[in-house]
Amino acid sequence: MNEWYWLTCALLAGIAACGWVILRRGFLDGIVALQLAGVLASLGVLSFAEAVDRPPFGDLAIVLALVSVVGSLILARFVERVPGGPGGRGGDDRR
Amino acid sequence: MSVGDAFVYLLIGLGAASLLVACAGLVLARDFFDRLHFSAPATLGTILIVAALWAREGPSLIGWKGVATAAIVIVGSPLVTHALARAARIAERGDWRAGEDETVERAR
Repeated sequence: MNEWYWLTCALLAGIAACGWVILRRGFLDGIVALQLAGVLASLGVLSFAEAVDRPPFGDLAIVLALVSVVGSLILARFVERVPGGPGGRGGDDRR
Repeated sequence: MSVGDAFVYLLIGLGAASLLVACAGLVLARDFFDRLHFSAPATLGTILIVAALWAREGPSLIGWKGVATAAIVIVGSPLVTHALARAARIAERGDWRAGEDETVERAR
C-alpha cells in the first residue's frame, strides 16, 4: 500500500464520521455533514485514482465535487422552509 | 527517501489532518451554526492534498484534474456555507438581517 491508499482510508473514516452526524443529529446538521462528506468523497476518489495509477478516475472526482456543491445549494432552498430553523424542528432534537 | 518524497508526505499528512479536524469539529460542535465553521479546514485540506498531488505528478492529466476539483471546492464550499447559514437564519427568524431585539457591534 502506498501513501495514497492510506489517505483514501483516512478520508473514508472521515466520511463515516459525517454519516454518524447525518444519522444521529437533526436535519440541518445532516446537510452540513453531507456537504463535508461530498468534499471528502471527491478527494477520496482523486487519491484512489492516484493510488491505482488510473488518471481517468479523476473525472469522477470533478463530477462528484460539482454535484455535491449544486446539491447542497438546492438543499439550502429547502432549509428556508424548515419550521423554526436550527432552533425548531430542523435542530438537534435527538441528542 | 528524497526531499521531494518527504515534501509530498508532509503535504498529505497536513491535508489529512486538516480534513480529520474538520470531521472531528463536525461531530463535536454544539449546534448548526458552529458546525458550519468546519468547512474551512476541509477547504484547506483540499488545497494541501491537491498540492501534494501536483508535487508528485506535476502538470499531468491527474494533476490538472486535481486542480479542477480543488477549484470547485474552493469556490463552492464557502458559497454553500453562506447559503446554508442564510437559509437557516431565514427559517429561524423570517429574515436574515438583524432584528430589533438583536444588537450588532460595529467595528471601529
